[in-house]
Amino acid sequence: MRYVLRRLGFFALTLWAALTINFFLPRFMPGSPLQALRARTYNKLSPAALEEMLTSFGYKPHENVGVQYLDYLGHMFTGNWGVSIGSALGQPITQIVGQALPWTLGLVGVATVLAFVAGTVIGVVAGWRRGGTLDAILPSVFVVTSALPYFWVGLLLILVFSVWTGGWLPSDFNYDSNLQPGFNPEFIGNVLRHAVLPGLTIFITAVGGWVLTMRNNMITTLAEDYIRMGRAKGLANRKIMYQYAARNAFLPNLSGFAMSLGFVISGAILVEYVFNYPGLGYLLYNAVQNTDYPMMQVLFMLFTVAVLVSVLLCDFATAWLDPRSRAKG
Amino acid sequence: MTALLTTPPAAAAAPPSRRRGAFLRSVLRNRKALIGLVIFGVFTVMAAVPHLFTSVTEPNKLAFPPALPPSGDHLLGTTALGQDIWAQLVYGARQSLVIALVAGFFATVLSVLVGVSAAYLGGVADEALSMVINIFLIIPTFPLIIILATYAGKGTLTVVLIVLVVTGWSYGANQMRAQALSLRNRDFLESARVRGERRTYIILAEMLPTMTSLIVANFLGAALYSVLTAAGLQFLGLGDPNSISWGTMLYWSQNQQALQSGMPLWSIAPGLCVALLGVSFALLNYAFDEISNPALRPVRRRRATA
Amino acid sequence: MRLRKSLIAVLAAGLVLSACSGKSTSSTTTATGGNATGTDGPHKPGGTVTIANTTGQTWPCQFNPFNPAQNQEALGFVYEPLVHVSVVGDSKETPMLATAYKWSADLKSLVFTIRDGVKWSDGQAFSADDVAYTFNLMKEHPALDLFALWTGAGLTGVTAAGNQVTMTFSKPAKPYFYNVADQVGIVPKHIFSTGAAAAKPDTFTNPKPIGTGPFLMGTCGPNNIEYTANPTYWQAGKPYIQKIEYPAYLDNAPANNDLASGKAQWGGQFIPNIKSFYLAKSQDNHTWSPPLLNVGLFPNLDPSHAATSKLAVRQAIAAALDRNQIALIGEGGQQPAANQTGVVIPTFQKYFDQAALTSAGYDKPNADKAKQLLASAGYSPSNPLKLTVISITGYTDWDASLAVVKQQLQPIGIDLTVDDLAQQTFLNKLYTGDFDLAYYSEQNSGPSPYYELRQLLYSKNSAPIGKNASSNFERYHNDQADQLLDQYATADDATQVSIVKQLSALMLQDVPMIPTTGSVDWFQYNTSDILGWPTPDNPYAEPSPYKIPDNEQVMLHLYSKAAQK
Repeated sequence: MRYVLRRLGFFALTLWAALTINFFLPRFMPGSPLQALRARTYNKLSPAALEEMLTSFGYKPHENVGVQYLDYLGHMFTGNWGVSIGSALGQPITQIVGQALPWTLGLVGVATVLAFVAGTVIGVVAGWRRGGTLDAILPSVFVVTSALPYFWVGLLLILVFSVWTGGWLPSDFNYDSNLQPGFNPEFIGNVLRHAVLPGLTIFITAVGGWVLTMRNNMITTLAEDYIRMGRAKGLANRKIMYQYAARNAFLPNLSGFAMSLGFVISGAILVEYVFNYPGLGYLLYNAVQNTDYPMMQVLFMLFTVAVLVSVLLCDFATAWLDPRSRAKG
Repeated sequence: MTALLTTPPAAAAAPPSRRRGAFLRSVLRNRKALIGLVIFGVFTVMAAVPHLFTSVTEPNKLAFPPALPPSGDHLLGTTALGQDIWAQLVYGARQSLVIALVAGFFATVLSVLVGVSAAYLGGVADEALSMVINIFLIIPTFPLIIILATYAGKGTLTVVLIVLVVTGWSYGANQMRAQALSLRNRDFLESARVRGERRTYIILAEMLPTMTSLIVANFLGAALYSVLTAAGLQFLGLGDPNSISWGTMLYWSQNQQALQSGMPLWSIAPGLCVALLGVSFALLNYAFDEISNPALRPVRRRRATA
Repeated sequence: MRLRKSLIAVLAAGLVLSACSGKSTSSTTTATGGNATGTDGPHKPGGTVTIANTTGQTWPCQFNPFNPAQNQEALGFVYEPLVHVSVVGDSKETPMLATAYKWSADLKSLVFTIRDGVKWSDGQAFSADDVAYTFNLMKEHPALDLFALWTGAGLTGVTAAGNQVTMTFSKPAKPYFYNVADQVGIVPKHIFSTGAAAAKPDTFTNPKPIGTGPFLMGTCGPNNIEYTANPTYWQAGKPYIQKIEYPAYLDNAPANNDLASGKAQWGGQFIPNIKSFYLAKSQDNHTWSPPLLNVGLFPNLDPSHAATSKLAVRQAIAAALDRNQIALIGEGGQQPAANQTGVVIPTFQKYFDQAALTSAGYDKPNADKAKQLLASAGYSPSNPLKLTVISITGYTDWDASLAVVKQQLQPIGIDLTVDDLAQQTFLNKLYTGDFDLAYYSEQNSGPSPYYELRQLLYSKNSAPIGKNASSNFERYHNDQADQLLDQYATADDATQVSIVKQLSALMLQDVPMIPTTGSVDWFQYNTSDILGWPTPDNPYAEPSPYKIPDNEQVMLHLYSKAAQK
């Protein structure tokens, strides 16, 4: 119980810290929403009109900072996120985020899970077959792929599969704009085709890390006494590999996986940018380009909450699976 | 035991020098490390004496006809604005290397400082510092970097460096703290305390040398992170677009749609350089891991070589 | 594969609508991009136009004509102005919702006669009341008054009586006719006086716009807006084109790809390497991007900025620049060179004073003269003047132009540093006068050079350093300029030309701003099926798809070749 409370306390404190950074950062930096809006309207409006516009968009420029801060914290928790003051001026942020979220979750989430599963399997096999051909080549290959810049892999894939092949695979957007969304084979197929290149980009750059850590965990685990014991007892190799070694080697990777799931909604900004994929990462880039403060604040808050929640869940899961970690607190 | 007690300086000095020799040998014997070192070496030479590689002295000057294909005069052709791509590549090495080394260095220093002090001080100080480390670990870094860089107004080298250090130290600090914690109650530190040495002395002269391998690994990791992140930032246009660096080249080529308008080298070449520099750090890091943890080394198979 | 499939889909749509088959794309005889004025006659309906215009975001599906971020999707196609004024076509006027208008003798009162028989797309009748309501709504909510009609133009009242709307002004307001008649889209009173629209007209989302225009918003999703022809449009037989597809493009690259492949026929953004990337792909691909404004260096004229407030320094810069080279390299030859008179040519040719430009010595770059001028200010290549110019991050063509400028100024003894700033930071510095040199362009074009020169030179558009200037960022104060600009409001056409020429003389004499290149309306079009585009010979409207309400005029002229068979 004490453990749970401690973790929840940490959760609250981190969230508060992130939200506070998020609130004060724009206010310490040059510029203001008023100026952002002035720029947006090409300096055509009078200051009074600009203020009226800001006020109707939910901003209170003359309010005391303390009051603004409390208001802001309240709004973040109640989902009263206001409206964009950037390129989608006037559009409710919940609506914008709601449109973008499924695409990011679908693309980045699936690619991350696939990379983790594939990486883990390859890592287990490589660690198990130490000294095999696989193990001689794979680590070097994956050291290289895991150090490649995301966006460059994306550019390469576009060049090879889209530019050189005359548009064999689509290199931008989530589906052809002449299609109406719906649950029909044509639309779903189109969505999948559009997801291939960006998904592959994430997969290629993410899989290496999982392979390497899994292989190393596997090797360390295989040296443990209980494995030798198992071998001495004459257990089947398969059984040792999957039920004894892989399981235990897998546990430390779980928390890493939880973190990366949390980073799913924010982690692929560059990929979404390269492929013009209309997800949350692209939204953030766009918000930054247009100094859309409310948008940036909401996105940053969401990104932090996502990581926190997944880390928290993973902590509880680990504590439940492995009593030792509870003691460490 | 007594020998150790009476001659700590010699003992502290001697093993590292011996280790260093051995380390060098094992690096040279490790193929990954060797490849990493060679790539790094080539880029270092490029950064130090760019004029050995190209006759162009002002790579950003619009000195040539635009969009030339690769030729003897222009190894990789020219940009849509009329700059020599090869020359930009050569001169771009400097900034990427500086970012990698400087940001890597300061991030490592910060992680050592925070991590080791947390572990050594213990108690409330440790609680507080761990909390800070954990918060920085969890806050999504790349979005934060983008927001910071935007608010800072313009992405000069200093801004990019500061942002990288601020966001890049926490992972290492966590590891430092863990290792320092495991060292805390070792005999040689206990004995130093008994001798009445000052804290700073104990940390600097006793603890840090034993953590060298972790520190080096951390530096390499931070350098890799800095190279990739800085290139990403510049690619998005959050760097200084008039500077000469690989990330900036990527930004310009992307804006001029180099891939689609028949100048793919403009885009692919700087990306490859970023990738190569990243790979060199990753290879060194991995090789370093293998050297300090022999269990991970590839098994040499006689069958295959015979 | 994707491209080919979509291309077929677009062609098929055209064929089905025209209820006719045949090899429509093979006949190239009439596809010369030419649409001589003779082709403007009645055409059979049919065809689809796809627009490729980068907006950088997915569609919000809101159509509030008062929201500056969304009115591109609503004005023109759905909401119409009173009178269309062609900025590129020598101010040629086309009556839209007003059939006629009349100024009072003192030019302080303007009476519009409102068109009869127009219906809103929900069937209700359109009337003069709607017009008066639209303008009064802007008075009540200053945030809607995007052209500062009630504050800047001196509008004091708008009333409707019968089929007439009378506008009264506190001063002669002829120059504001363009804003009043062309730039404001008329909205239905019966919608905007009730519910959410009445409570907060500035944030009203207006998902189903009701207008008088030639198109109805058919379906809207984040990725595409489809407009369909308004069957009850008041111009019988129009529009010819039955459907507009307006996909959202997040980046120029995909939009340009769709243009190059012919999937989209109407483009509105910069295409790098346009010759090989677009024009060479098909003989049906054309481009015409007319310049409307100047881009250039704004020197800070305030005495606190020692170097740039010196006339000799500004003259030296103006004399040293090779504007053709800046246009050629920096803008890839796609924005033309500007000139020191501040009159954009060829768009405003009749106001241009070549003789004055030549006699002032700014007709071609003159490095020797520049050196002498700079020497008189105390600088030389051995003792260079260090200047910083601020620019906006992400405007890569401007960065490239500035790289050329820097290179051109170096030999005469000016060491230029380019400082790229985030847009907001840049604008803040620009508005408050915190710069030596700024690279920028005035934002609002109008049907004559007067509109730009007023923004640039009128002292009321300036402000002391530290306060926000609205458009006279360089802080130019000249009583003669103010008088000329004031006179323009009541002048006849010939006098207006002479006033602009006198203002040009001030540009040459005082060098308050140093134009480098033109700022154009980006426009690319494909004539394989769609004809009737605006061209230099028939400049009936500003051609960019993002130019409102000119987009309506373009759509009213376009027709499908396949549908004519």
